[in-house]
Amino acid sequence: MIALLGLALGVVLGLVLQPTVPTELQPYLPIAVVAALDALFGGLRATLDGIFDDRVFVTSFLSNVVLAALIVFLGDQLGVGSQLSTAVVVVLGIRIFSNAAAIRRHVFKA
Amino acid sequence: MTLLSEVFRRPLDPGYHEAARRKAAHPDAPVGRTRTVGVLVLTVLLGLVVTAATLALRQPSPSAVEARALLLGQIKDETARADEAQRSISATSAQLTALQEQVLAGEDPKLLARLQQDAGASGVVAVTGPGLRVELSDAPAADGQDEPDLDHRVQDVDLQVVVNGLWAAGAEAVAINGTRLTTTTAIRSAGSAVLVDLVAMSSPYDVDAIGDSATLQTQLALGSAGQHLATLRDTYDIGVAVSARTDLRLPGTGQVTLRYASTPAPTSSATPSPSADGGVAGSSSTQEGRTP
Repeated sequence: MIALLGLALGVVLGLVLQPTVPTELQPYLPIAVVAALDALFGGLRATLDGIFDDRVFVTSFLSNVVLAALIVFLGDQLGVGSQLSTAVVVVLGIRIFSNAAAIRRHVFKA
Repeated sequence: MTLLSEVFRRPLDPGYHEAARRKAAHPDAPVGRTRTVGVLVLTVLLGLVVTAATLALRQPSPSAVEARALLLGQIKDETARADEAQRSISATSAQLTALQEQVLAGEDPKLLARLQQDAGASGVVAVTGPGLRVELSDAPAADGQDEPDLDHRVQDVDLQVVVNGLWAAGAEAVAINGTRLTTTTAIRSAGSAVLVDLVAMSSPYDVDAIGDSATLQTQLALGSAGQHLATLRDTYDIGVAVSARTDLRLPGTGQVTLRYASTPAPTSSATPSPSADGGVAGSSSTQEGRTP
């Protein structure tokens, strides 16, 4: 609950304050958002499974975002930035889909 | 393949299961206060960052906006300059015509009359009178679309057919959206825009023709243009409205670009005089004189 509360508070703060993102970080934003979505769906599924743990949620969220940004950064340095971005999006997209399917099974029992 | 099957088979973070096992092993382990605060701070931070990222992604990048503003400014400036030049041309042409009439009125009234008639026919001077207005407008956009597809828009061909139909019906002067048509005016399309005399236009299109409105209307309906208009209205849902007007004002182009001239008198002069035939006077860089 604490985690959810904190996230909601952060979103509200972000909407109110409208902070500007430094230009150097711009290329990593799409990947970071997708990674955040993945962590959110994972947390939701864990809640429905009855095994939600706020520490695991925060750690997975943080590591997902940082790791995704790191991979894109690495790809940029190696000259394969767009390909690696695609790879990250594919993997995270598959995970989001599977988690969403599990959530659907929980909610609709089908 | 191991990687992919791993991703497919167990998409939930294994950490959740481990945490659940730990909890099951020590059911009454106390939850530390620092941990709660830490989780709260981190989640607030994460929510903030993700919201900021989403907001930043939703707005166009500043450089693109800047470039767009720059281009828009340039277009506006250049358009203003072109308008200014056009005004200057019109003023000079009017001056020229006035001077010409002044001179000719004393010397050759017959030539002056013919000149005025020709100027009206060639679209150089503004004309007023009764006539016919044909209004063409694009079909309304289909559901879920911002604008109608190309088939349901008024195209250059439609305007060409209408204009040709009006000329054939006996129109003395024709203008589209205030741009006078002359013998050298082209109606073309560039992309999705219709260009009349290189001026971009958009729906609705008012095609004004001066002449006897009853005759114009009948002849237009009888000719192939009438059929074309009916097809546009019935098949493509394009708005077609034909109305008789008692007082139409069509502007003149105000300038003549002289491309060909010859001297009428059979004198064997070696030097060509460009402004002899028909008395059509104008300034042009592409003058071409020829002696018969």
